[in-house]
Amino acid sequence: MKMLLVAEYRDGKLLGSINELLGFAAGMAAEVAVFLVGKDDTLPKFAGRLYLAEVEKHLEYNPDGHKALLLQAVEKEEPDLIVFSHSSYGWDLAPRLAFALGASQISEVVAVEGGGFIVPACNAKLRRQVKSLTKGTVLTLQVGAFPAADNSDTPPTVVPIDTDAAPLVRFQGYEAAAEGGVDLTKAGVIVSAGRGIGKPENVAIIAALAAALGGEYGASRPVVDAQWVEHNRQVGTTGQSVTPKLYVACGISGAIQHLAGMKKSEFIVAVNTDRDAPIGEIADVLVVADLKQFIPALTEKIRSL
Amino acid sequence: MPRREEVPLLLPGFKTNLTSPAAFFAGDKPMNFELTEEQNLIRDMVREFAETEVAPTARIRDEEERFDRALMFDRLAELGLTGIVFPEEYGGAGADYISYAIAVEELSRVCASTGVTLSAHLSLCANPIYLFGNEEQKQQFLAPLARGEKMGAFGLTEPSAGTDAGGTRTTAVKDGDSYILNGTKIFITNAGEAETYVVFARTDKAAQKHHGISAFIVEKNTPGFTFGKKEQKMGIRSSPTMELVFDNCRIPASQLLGEEGMGFKVAMKTLDGGRIGIASQALGIAQGAMEAAVNYAKERKQFDTPIARFQGIQFQLADMATQIEAARLLVYSAAYKASHGISYSQASAMAKLMASETAMRVTTQAVQVLGGYGYTREFPVERMMRDAKITEIYEGTSEVQRLVIGTALTK
Amino acid sequence: MKILVCMKQVPDMESKFKLSPGALWYDTADLAWRMNEYDEYAVEQAVRLKEQVGSGDITVLSIGPDRIKETMKKALAMGCDRGVQVADDAAMAKDPLAIAGIIAEYARSRDFSCIFTGMQSQDRGSGQVGPLLAEMLGLPCVTTIVDFAYNAGEYLVKRELEGGVRAIVKVKGPAVFTCQLGLNTPRYPTLPNIMKAKKKELLTVPVAELQKLAGQQETTRIFFPEKKGGGLVLEGEIGALADQLIAILKDKTSVLA
Repeated sequence: MKMLLVAEYRDGKLLGSINELLGFAAGMAAEVAVFLVGKDDTLPKFAGRLYLAEVEKHLEYNPDGHKALLLQAVEKEEPDLIVFSHSSYGWDLAPRLAFALGASQISEVVAVEGGGFIVPACNAKLRRQVKSLTKGTVLTLQVGAFPAADNSDTPPTVVPIDTDAAPLVRFQGYEAAAEGGVDLTKAGVIVSAGRGIGKPENVAIIAALAAALGGEYGASRPVVDAQWVEHNRQVGTTGQSVTPKLYVACGISGAIQHLAGMKKSEFIVAVNTDRDAPIGEIADVLVVADLKQFIPALTEKIRSL
Repeated sequence: MPRREEVPLLLPGFKTNLTSPAAFFAGDKPMNFELTEEQNLIRDMVREFAETEVAPTARIRDEEERFDRALMFDRLAELGLTGIVFPEEYGGAGADYISYAIAVEELSRVCASTGVTLSAHLSLCANPIYLFGNEEQKQQFLAPLARGEKMGAFGLTEPSAGTDAGGTRTTAVKDGDSYILNGTKIFITNAGEAETYVVFARTDKAAQKHHGISAFIVEKNTPGFTFGKKEQKMGIRSSPTMELVFDNCRIPASQLLGEEGMGFKVAMKTLDGGRIGIASQALGIAQGAMEAAVNYAKERKQFDTPIARFQGIQFQLADMATQIEAARLLVYSAAYKASHGISYSQASAMAKLMASETAMRVTTQAVQVLGGYGYTREFPVERMMRDAKITEIYEGTSEVQRLVIGTALTK
Repeated sequence: MKILVCMKQVPDMESKFKLSPGALWYDTADLAWRMNEYDEYAVEQAVRLKEQVGSGDITVLSIGPDRIKETMKKALAMGCDRGVQVADDAAMAKDPLAIAGIIAEYARSRDFSCIFTGMQSQDRGSGQVGPLLAEMLGLPCVTTIVDFAYNAGEYLVKRELEGGVRAIVKVKGPAVFTCQLGLNTPRYPTLPNIMKAKKKELLTVPVAELQKLAGQQETTRIFFPEKKGGGLVLEGEIGALADQLIAILKDKTSVLA
């Protein structure tokens, strides 16, 4: 099986998503080639051909130009699967490429099973198995669904490609994320402080872990009532109802008022010295430890990942 | 053996000389228990507004006894809710009473105070002007009320005139081309905030009881019209309830609503419509309480089981849901009649009676299901229980509703 | 200025979904339906664009059975001028290519200056219809926009990228845009507008008139994901616990990818 993997370049850097695509290919024992609009100073390492187009000419966002370049790579490689990450770059470009090739495109693949691809549906409440009816197929893979490949030392064989296809859209550059007030309902990761943090100074430990995970910190009611944290960070019946991908409850016993605000989180980790704390009933993982020691240690390790 | 026609048979289409509340019949059209697409869209819109904007502050406003006009009235005006049932020519939306019932119910489901603000404004103030006002009055007073530029209130109740409206002591004496009002009104919803008041006063001292009373339109800031004390209430604490004080308050004679002596009739017809509003408010309170009880029962575990699995709790929840559904059908039946020009006094009395008593039962039961937590102010059911009680009292007590129904039955 | 908004009716995502044996999609009985959340932003942006240019005409198009008409009326009540219901009881089974093909067939000779869609649907979530539609019509397309501005035939939009960074893009019209949550604040359909929507044109076109492209993929199975097992309890030395937890997070979530 032959795969053409699409790597991404953003803000002058090669993104790590290519490692997941390489891992996916390795998992299917496929021969790989890679396509990248980038620069030759940071290239992914793997055994195979790397079709490289100059990012200075073709820019980081230019779907029509990138599509034309990709078509050249596809023509040369004749892959069975063309694989993107389901990222803002991938979901934008993959359908266009698929249409140009007359190939079907399957979005946000989380697994391969029974000759078909498994994708989520209905806010991840369901799963669908989808089969392509065309010879070649274009896939986008859900971020984090496939393990990254082990680091390779082999440098790829670079094949330069170019096109004069004019872009239909003009990329003007990037704008940093806006600094707004905290909105826990939009946070993908929330680390919450409960009474178990002991004193207001320890809110910083919780906030540090939240920052290391790229998320926000919240709190249970007793912590807000004690004015250790502002009210707009309260999670629970009289606070916010949140549905993050990851919720880490630190020193929170799991009173029903709090559970009501966070039980729909996708993955719940509780850190508590009490192994019988009610929060253990809905947590996916209960770490029985003193949060004042565990959380800083965890934060340190995450930072050095 | 009474003849068939004298006994109210609740069969659809059966013609009696009493209105049959179960009849959705209009001629030979079949029963249709579905809402129209517009009614569904209205429900969705008001529900989304209520959950997103009204619900988050319901608890704190109750605690602080604070009315928030921008939220509880101006936003309603922006959404086109302040004149739902009035024709477009008077600034209304030209929709029906079922749409109105739905709007009040959805607001009350999260905040009974917001529900009554709309109901008192529309049914008790704007509606009598619509029914009994002349063209100038409709343009001058109804249109701004329908558009929500002004808020309305209704001043009938007095210290010695509650159920006995005939005990009205407030007087209105004709003086040239004015009337001079003297007296006090109590327990007035929206008082202090509203700009327009429909007020009842005795114009004929010689007449007895409920004869000789007339209706007037009075505006805030008229010299001689002030507000007395603000009531501290058990429930609907976010809705302002105050006294109206008239001390030689002079108003133009053109603000007489209807004719002299017609006041009692104006009041009674107004309250017929107001009952639909309050019944909808009670329905919303009950619905909100039931949902809270069901959600809690599904999560709360005792003896390693969600309590929703215990039959005792299931029976209670089943009773709540059934009674609410029955009340809802009565409310819609009354609303349907109101919109189709069918006499609806008994229907609205039945709806208000049933909905308010259901609300009291359901909210009390909801507190019981939530147990100790339900008794705390952290959960909304204790507020809903406190809010429900007034629906059995104002705009005609349950006793009055029973009188209305009983009298009609036994005529 | 002619504007097209492509809208989809989806079930409320809070619903408890049911699957009958052998089914290839969720059971549609007993579900509450609503406008796809992403499409609300698309409708709102279309209405704002029309308000900005002063003379615009917005068509809202949706594919599905009669029940979608209620949701289309919401779009009309929000400010769209006319609706086109492509009547199709089997819309749910169609893949993005077939769906885009139907819309392209409708839009082809109608000269829309601007086409809005949501960036994905909440039920299927492929996110392909917008770009496919643009390819079929030979139009430029920018997906995932969180900011939109129009001036004299040219659009200036911002794409939302990972980490909240935004990519600024200029496009000359006509063009297709797919809308991300937060692009604007969708207005409530006011009650008077809901009543007025009754009088707006809502045409029904049978899908056979517009479907020229067959699908290229098929759903072979639909199922519930395995329930998370009972919680894991970890105890031990702090450093080892941290390593264990990190490994679990890498394995079970996308947070430490």
